[in-house]
Amino acid sequence: MDMVLRNIVKKQLLWISLAAISMFFASMLSAFIVEKADVVNWKEFILPNYFLFSTIIIIISSFLLFFIKPQLKKEKPIFGLVFTVLILGILFSYFQIKGWQQLTSQGIYLTGVGSNISGSFLYILTLTHLLHLVGGLVGLCISTIKSKQNLYSINNYLGLELTAIYWHFLTVLWVILFAFLKFY
Amino acid sequence: MSEHHKENFITKYIFSMDHKMIAKQFLLTGMFMAVVGMLMSAIFRVQLANPGETSILYNLLPSAWLNDSGGLNPDKYLALVTMHGTILVFWVLTAGLSGTFANFLIPLQIGARDMASGFLNMLSYWFFFIATVVLMSSLFVESGPASGGWTIYPPLSALPQAIPGSGAGMTLWLISITLFVVGSLLGGLNYIVTILNLRTIGMTMKRLPLTIWALLITAILGVLSFPVLLSCGLLLVFDRSFGTSFYLSDIIINGEVLHNEGGSPILFEHLFWFLGHPEVYIILLPALGIVSEVIAVNSRKPIFGYKAMVGALLLIAFLSFIVWGHHMFMTGMNPFLGSVFTFTTLLIAIPSAVKVFNYLATLWRGNIRFTPAMLFAIGTVSAFITGGLTGIILGDSALDINVHDTYFVVGHFHIVMGLSAIYGMFAGVYHWFPKMYGRMMNKNLGYIHFWGTFICAYGVFFPMHFLGLAGLPRRYYSNSAFPMFDGLSDINDLITFFALAGALVQVIFLFNFFYSIFKGTKASQNPWESNTLEWTTPVERIHGNWPGDLPVVKRWAYDYSKPGAKEDFILQTEPLKDGEIDH
Amino acid sequence: MNEKIYQMTNILIFIIVILVIAALVQIVRVSELLSEIKNQDVNEVTDNDNNTQGLLFLIIGFGFLVFVVWQMITWNHLLLPPASSVHGTQIDLLMKVSMGLIITVFFITSPLLFYFVYKYRGKKSNKAYFLSHNNKLEVVWTVIPTIALTALIIFGLKTWDNAMNVEVTESTQFIEVYAQQYNWTARYSGLDNKLGRANYKLVKGQNTLGVDMSDVNSADDKMAREVHLVVNEPVLLKFRSQDVIHSAYLPHFRVQMNCVPGITTQFGFTPNKTTDQMKESEGEDFEYVLLCNKICGASHFNMQMKFIVETQEEYDIWIASQDNLEKKLLTQK
Repeated sequence: MDMVLRNIVKKQLLWISLAAISMFFASMLSAFIVEKADVVNWKEFILPNYFLFSTIIIIISSFLLFFIKPQLKKEKPIFGLVFTVLILGILFSYFQIKGWQQLTSQGIYLTGVGSNISGSFLYILTLTHLLHLVGGLVGLCISTIKSKQNLYSINNYLGLELTAIYWHFLTVLWVILFAFLKFY
Repeated sequence: MSEHHKENFITKYIFSMDHKMIAKQFLLTGMFMAVVGMLMSAIFRVQLANPGETSILYNLLPSAWLNDSGGLNPDKYLALVTMHGTILVFWVLTAGLSGTFANFLIPLQIGARDMASGFLNMLSYWFFFIATVVLMSSLFVESGPASGGWTIYPPLSALPQAIPGSGAGMTLWLISITLFVVGSLLGGLNYIVTILNLRTIGMTMKRLPLTIWALLITAILGVLSFPVLLSCGLLLVFDRSFGTSFYLSDIIINGEVLHNEGGSPILFEHLFWFLGHPEVYIILLPALGIVSEVIAVNSRKPIFGYKAMVGALLLIAFLSFIVWGHHMFMTGMNPFLGSVFTFTTLLIAIPSAVKVFNYLATLWRGNIRFTPAMLFAIGTVSAFITGGLTGIILGDSALDINVHDTYFVVGHFHIVMGLSAIYGMFAGVYHWFPKMYGRMMNKNLGYIHFWGTFICAYGVFFPMHFLGLAGLPRRYYSNSAFPMFDGLSDINDLITFFALAGALVQVIFLFNFFYSIFKGTKASQNPWESNTLEWTTPVERIHGNWPGDLPVVKRWAYDYSKPGAKEDFILQTEPLKDGEIDH
Repeated sequence: MNEKIYQMTNILIFIIVILVIAALVQIVRVSELLSEIKNQDVNEVTDNDNNTQGLLFLIIGFGFLVFVVWQMITWNHLLLPPASSVHGTQIDLLMKVSMGLIITVFFITSPLLFYFVYKYRGKKSNKAYFLSHNNKLEVVWTVIPTIALTALIIFGLKTWDNAMNVEVTESTQFIEVYAQQYNWTARYSGLDNKLGRANYKLVKGQNTLGVDMSDVNSADDKMAREVHLVVNEPVLLKFRSQDVIHSAYLPHFRVQMNCVPGITTQFGFTPNKTTDQMKESEGEDFEYVLLCNKICGASHFNMQMKFIVETQEEYDIWIASQDNLEKKLLTQK
């Protein structure tokens, strides 16, 4: 299989996986919407600000990724860019965890006698998103190391492209989840 | 890809990345599980014919499953029914059918060296293998395997106190199905990307054999619906093991008041059936795709209405996403919603009918060659007519009131899946065995296998419609608790007789399959005189499929008995003659 | 079982299996050798084969159809008797019409299939007719099923609406049916025809249904282990479950509804044949019965409650003999 075809194939494999992952989250969101309609049993609470911070962070990180292609075209180094995105990704995770800590201190738990289905859903949605994000962090780690070693060029940066596409997906997914959790 | 990697035993037979070997791995695992699933059904059919009594077949079970007088324990009856359903729906008819034929046929029929990613493909099998090991291990835990039906509705499947199998057995079931789904998704990704990108020169979408269309659409169905089972299962895992209340509320079990509040078991049913319904089409469509191929080749005629057949496949696939509620008519859902699902469900009968008529038109004025594969393909059409028609009763919500969860349903889904889809699988095995193993299966044993199966299978499942219309519920350990069912025991005995006879007939197939791998007569290049590309590869099968360049396609796949041609078939690689128009 | 017999039986079975496999091997080898002698390919499908198999499809195919007819005739008397409820009669009509349709289609397409494969059984000297498609035909056999199904859908939706959207009038009696592993309990709403509130947290001792005795409507409620209904009087059954999903299936009335913990479901109907009337036509042993129809545990197969349809007078006598909850729960501590 030649390089051009290989690139197309690998990207399509990724896009279809993203379709599958989307269905996973879409079904949980539908469950969320249906359960929320049952107002009697749904305990409302305020979403900690940490989740707002993490949303901003991940949007910035995705934005930065758009500079990769222009930089590569000008044959400029991209290590700094990729490394920053990695750091922002880790920061996102940190804020997510802080958000959970805040929730538990408010008495909103994932499970157990004191828990409510509203809290459970929030934890499950953010937890599964974060688990998928870990995959993205792994990709960013590898990309960081490879960009430090200047292994990428405008004609050959498939691994980074795939990581970037996946990362953008995680951002869009998070924005949708956050919008639901905050405003619905 | 003429890469010369040295193959040792491990890379050739165990961790193979060659799609043909992976296909055979799926086939053999699927066949093994089919035997396990069939034995389970033989055991519980014996229980139904002789409730409470002991039987020689129970020797196959762990002794803890039997009571002091050697009879089967009621909860273990439910365990058998659950595992039978799980194994046959997922392991045999999904992995065994799609996994085998998608892997085997896609690169061969589209003219590719292998799948888009041999590595992902290999992973897809090994996830499946580990899922199999985990599922089988659940048979040996003390509290028994999952016992809440293959549909595992909570709260029953969430509470070990409600039935022992909902303890460790159910946990293992959930782990197993998660691995299974991941494996299926990895496979599906490959199938789609390979078909879209690796078709050889001249192989346009319009020249694809219908089998490939069916496998493509099945893969898309899988990618969009299996993840929902994962989310459904994830929420169940949390309810079972971590105290959440997604599906549970207001429960007192064995005197204990549970803390769960706010959850809904109906939510589970929605999520489950959102996969569950497309799942049965993931099972059926590859079988129909295989049958299209086998009928065309053996009628020596083009498949009638190629475009209509593709359209029907697409319509069935689309509609399959909006009918899931017909499994839930009696849950107390808003009646309006029930009406919507009745409407969409009955619509799906239309493309299904179109396919049957096209098969009949293909047979009309054909020159039919009765290979064992052809017998099974015809059997598929017969069963699809029979089973599909009773779907019209079940899809009508008002009629479902009295037949829901009765033997009428059991008869229906067995005839469409346990006959129609399995016959499609048999047809595929008999038809492509020469390509898989370079040898022919014995024809006469094939004939005996078909007729024995055809007669026994209808003998088992057709009478069930009457049991259902008599009001007999499914998943009953015994039918002797209600005097109103006493008159049905003769029918039950008849069904059990045919079930055991049918199970025995399969021994002929197993013998034929394994004997022929080693001692079958050597196959010729194109034993069925078929047009499709797989028959242009060497009989001895090589890595990369074609020794030289990839074939170039010049025509569609169905030029059988074309007027003016020398023979009654024309390979897809054969260039068009002057003045000849491609279909 | 005697251990020795058990072991002997297993050994015997093992030997039989080995012998069967050996026999099959020999049969196959013999047929292969015979073909070699005749200089034929043992696996080639000959015109003879086509004749045989085509004929078999005709015979066994039609045999199957005869078998179907035989089943329909022989087992017709085992099916449920005509519905004993008002909405049920319409369901039975829909069933007859739908069955009529699918049986007709079955007895047209199946014989066609078996006949075609017989008629067009292959001969080396024959050639098939190359016809790849016919768009007009596709339209015809798309439109006709569409029309038939549309008619069926309309009739079906009307019947469904009739069954599900039951009009609740003054005379509708409310009865709760409570499901648990593995029995049913009924709760009558008493003279006020209002069921008292209930909550699973209040289940205690004799109060097995968790009725809230502080609700004024609860005092006159009555619990029972069988359900008596007055003929031709509408009733609305309210379903609850204590533990897992059960399903209340009353086949003779064409009634079914899941009982789901955490939710109250309902089904309203009007019985129109008394138990005595049914005994006359179906036999002395006849009883209306409620079965569980959703897998619920080990004794799922034996979860039943008797239903009796009787005259107003008979009912009045029976209901008077049942203690109300005030008496049952508050005076017995």
